[in-house]
Amino acid sequence: MTAELILQTLLSGLLMGLIYALVAAGLSLIFGLMDVVNFAHGELLMVAMFATLVLHNLLGLDPLLLLPIVAVLLFGVGMAIYRLLIARALSVTFNTGMVQIFVTFGLAIFIRGAAQFFFGGEFRSINNSWLANKTVALAGIYIPLPQLAASVVCLLAFALLLAISKTEFGRALEATREDREAVGLIGIDRDRIFAIGWGMGAAAVGVAGVMLANFYYISPQVGANFALIAYVTVALGGFGSLGGALIAGIVIGEVEALSALVLEPSLKQVGMFAIYLAVLMFRPRGLFGRL
Amino acid sequence: MSVSRIALGAFLLSLATPAFAADDIIIGAIYPLTGNGAQVGLDAKAAYEVEADIINGTHPKIPMLMGEGGGLKNLGGAHIKLVFADSQGDPQKARAEAERLITQEHVVAIVGSYTSATAATISQVTDRYEIPYMSADNSSPSLNQRGLKWFFRTSPHDEMFSAAMFGFFKDIGAKTGKPVKSVALFYEDSIFGTDSSNVQRKLAGAAGLTVAADIKYRANSPSLSSEAQRLKAADADVILPSSYTSDALSIVRSMNEIAYKPKAIVAQAAGFQESGFLTGAGPLAEGILSRSSFAGDAIKARPAIVPVQELFKAKQNKSLNDNTSREITALQILADAINRSGTGKPADIRTALIATDVKGIDTIMPWVGVKFDETGQNIEGTPVIQQVKDGTYVTVWPFDVATTDAVWMK
Amino acid sequence: MAGSILGHNSIQRRRRLELIVGLIVLAGLCLLPLVVKDVYTQNLIILTILYAGLAQAWNILGGYCGQVSLGHALYFGIGAYVSTMLYVKLGIPPTLGMFAGGLVGGLFALLVGWPCFRLSGHYYAIATVVVGEIGYLLFLNWDFIGGASGINIPFKHESLVELQFRVTKVPWLYLVIAYAGLAWIIAWIIEGSRWGYSWRAVKDDVTAARSLAVRVFPSKMAAAAISGCLTGIGGAIFAQFVGYIDPDSIMSGNLSILIALPAVLGGVGTLWGPLVGSALLIPLKELSSSYLGSSGSGLDLMIYGALIVLIALARPQGLISLLGLFRKPEGAR
Repeated sequence: MTAELILQTLLSGLLMGLIYALVAAGLSLIFGLMDVVNFAHGELLMVAMFATLVLHNLLGLDPLLLLPIVAVLLFGVGMAIYRLLIARALSVTFNTGMVQIFVTFGLAIFIRGAAQFFFGGEFRSINNSWLANKTVALAGIYIPLPQLAASVVCLLAFALLLAISKTEFGRALEATREDREAVGLIGIDRDRIFAIGWGMGAAAVGVAGVMLANFYYISPQVGANFALIAYVTVALGGFGSLGGALIAGIVIGEVEALSALVLEPSLKQVGMFAIYLAVLMFRPRGLFGRL
Repeated sequence: MSVSRIALGAFLLSLATPAFAADDIIIGAIYPLTGNGAQVGLDAKAAYEVEADIINGTHPKIPMLMGEGGGLKNLGGAHIKLVFADSQGDPQKARAEAERLITQEHVVAIVGSYTSATAATISQVTDRYEIPYMSADNSSPSLNQRGLKWFFRTSPHDEMFSAAMFGFFKDIGAKTGKPVKSVALFYEDSIFGTDSSNVQRKLAGAAGLTVAADIKYRANSPSLSSEAQRLKAADADVILPSSYTSDALSIVRSMNEIAYKPKAIVAQAAGFQESGFLTGAGPLAEGILSRSSFAGDAIKARPAIVPVQELFKAKQNKSLNDNTSREITALQILADAINRSGTGKPADIRTALIATDVKGIDTIMPWVGVKFDETGQNIEGTPVIQQVKDGTYVTVWPFDVATTDAVWMK
Repeated sequence: MAGSILGHNSIQRRRRLELIVGLIVLAGLCLLPLVVKDVYTQNLIILTILYAGLAQAWNILGGYCGQVSLGHALYFGIGAYVSTMLYVKLGIPPTLGMFAGGLVGGLFALLVGWPCFRLSGHYYAIATVVVGEIGYLLFLNWDFIGGASGINIPFKHESLVELQFRVTKVPWLYLVIAYAGLAWIIAWIIEGSRWGYSWRAVKDDVTAARSLAVRVFPSKMAAAAISGCLTGIGGAIFAQFVGYIDPDSIMSGNLSILIALPAVLGGVGTLWGPLVGSALLIPLKELSSSYLGSSGSGLDLMIYGALIVLIALARPQGLISLLGLFRKPEGAR
């Protein structure tokens, strides 16, 4: 095994890990805010990828230019999901935890069926974008441009989310997170904060979808490929911790890449799941979860 | 207690069928119509409908078996009627749907089913109910080795396909002076992938080739970069992938990302033959070789291809491929046997199927013909090797049916 | 709980009533084969009752004990593989093998429970998903048990002991009725036992339960063992019923959800919820995919998904609440 091979693997792991972090960011945000795990997260990613595909074919714009459009679109989708379903699920006084799990799970099946209804089962790809299939060599190490761009966007997205948390709105978010009941007393509209939180979470996964569409195939089932990894990323980082999701994403990406290199690749996910379980044994609330 | 009741049930069932045979002959088709294999299932549905229209409709004669139209002659012009069922790729569901088709829809035969796991349960049911199962596109070699009496398969299986690949290596090595010395196995962790790789590993050993890499990967992985790097490190003369569309797209992209251009890729068809792969991979697909049971460009040797191709394109807006052509042929052979049975009863259909001896020229396939051995396997289904040129597959082997020369290890 | 002394007699009376209703339902189910002759419908009923039993098994851990497990396919698959391997490799009939499968399933539930019960809420749920997925991947790559190719159970001869029936479904119907009946009666016994009370206490408030000297961890482990064991038996029955098993069809995450769903929609932590939930959900799922799925349009998935959302939102306490007859033991909350 050459040094080049190992370096190349570490790099792919890092790039992929940042993408996992980006996919997980929205999930983490929503969870931190209202203790809800969105089991339709993968399907939101799929919706964003299809939105990118449709807009790309319709407007002829490069996916990179579509970033803000898809993000806004998904923001709306996220708000709508909150207003129509989640708000109701949260107002339930019985079995709240289970109700929200299965409401989002049912939503996931519904969205998948709808995607099949509108787009059929064909695998589609965008291969005429600016970055598609382009790669640069640097001292014998190859850097695929679509993944590099996705990583940069990931870091920017995390910086933006961090910046938002410093604003007045961010403090309102934080207050809502700390004490859901009390914020009403100090004039914060809890429902509105939650809706915006869902919008932001969906917008984040929308950004991930656009960047993925640059180099990954698109189909009604594609969300499932990323969903479980996203849950593991969020749980490993600690539910609600954005920084945790970033670190956990990178850890998972590296573990995946390295175990595919040295183990049987069909078992690489066992490698990353095992690491996750091992961490949970010592830190039951993830690496950076509040105990 | 129940043995006699079952016997009675089977007897009543066989009595019941001719009543339906009087007008339409009903054939069941079980495919994944939702879920990951949905597109293949939907294409299969279109293929069967096209072939049923050819058999039933009135149109100028298409130069192949059952190509004259007008229904089944020996059954008073009875029409073939298809009933489709969704297996969702789930063996339990496939089994239940087979039972539903047999007991509720009164089908006289079932065709199917794309995935090998569903074929395993469907063919168990058809054997118990004693109606023929015609496997159009299941390629697992174990399926016809289970002692089933009602199992028939027009398609070649993976052993025959892989044998063709290694035959091609030998021939092309002799012709170009660039023999294959090493292969890299790359296959998904499913029944299809493991079966295919087992045969290839065996054949490579028998042919004295080095297996430079033996990579079983997780299907539908978000990333195949490390796997691509292992292939690059091994740098075998030929990579032999067994993958469905999703991973076929991922792996060619992942190899391109690390600037790895394999000397040759010879695919176990599947995803590599799908239009979603050809359009999705675009320029990256150029030069990829694949085994196929269909040679769409062999229109001189198989004149029926052109009209059938036109009908299929009109319906599904894409060309016939490895799967859809096999599905059309399976229904064609089955319909011919039903016609020859003279009664449309399952037992007579089985007798007619056993007696089947169809020449390749009477089909759209490049095969020698269709003739079943005692396990129900067609022994004359001879595959071809194709190569992507300008976005479509052209046939390059066997040399006598090839339409162009292979681009080999440039 | 206040007024428990006062309510003691009425609780006893209600439990007796439930037992009587249970026996009536059981008798009614046993008469089904006389009425339903169609094989497809029989198949549907068998699946429905099997899932009622599985959901009841899940309910013992997820409902009564409040540990939302999304990895029950692991115990299901283990039960199926143990019984099938014993049958195919050693010739041990599945009527015995299913209990071995249940035993191993219960052991694995303990093995998973031991580390995971330290986790709370969503951490526990996600961990069970991941454990289930690891099990699936290991089975998929384990050549000894057939790996991805799975195990084909050949049909040799008609036999009650070996659970081999050529076309008749009637014995299967009685077998799954017995299975679901067993799960139901265990749940009934649990409801009235000290275990049942302590599990409800654990679920309602861990801290309070601890101060009431309920030993939280052992009681969770007991729930896991019973639940895993019953699920394993269900898996063994399913394997023999289908005649073919592979990791994709019996160990996937989707199956874990499908085991939990009838209980959740029917009414978690209730005796009748799992049965009511599967009586609605399983036929709807099967029929919509049989009659709408053949178009391949995805409509069946849309209906199925929408229905889950609607029931979960409209009836969070489960469909069972529509039938006012059966209340939760501690009354409305």
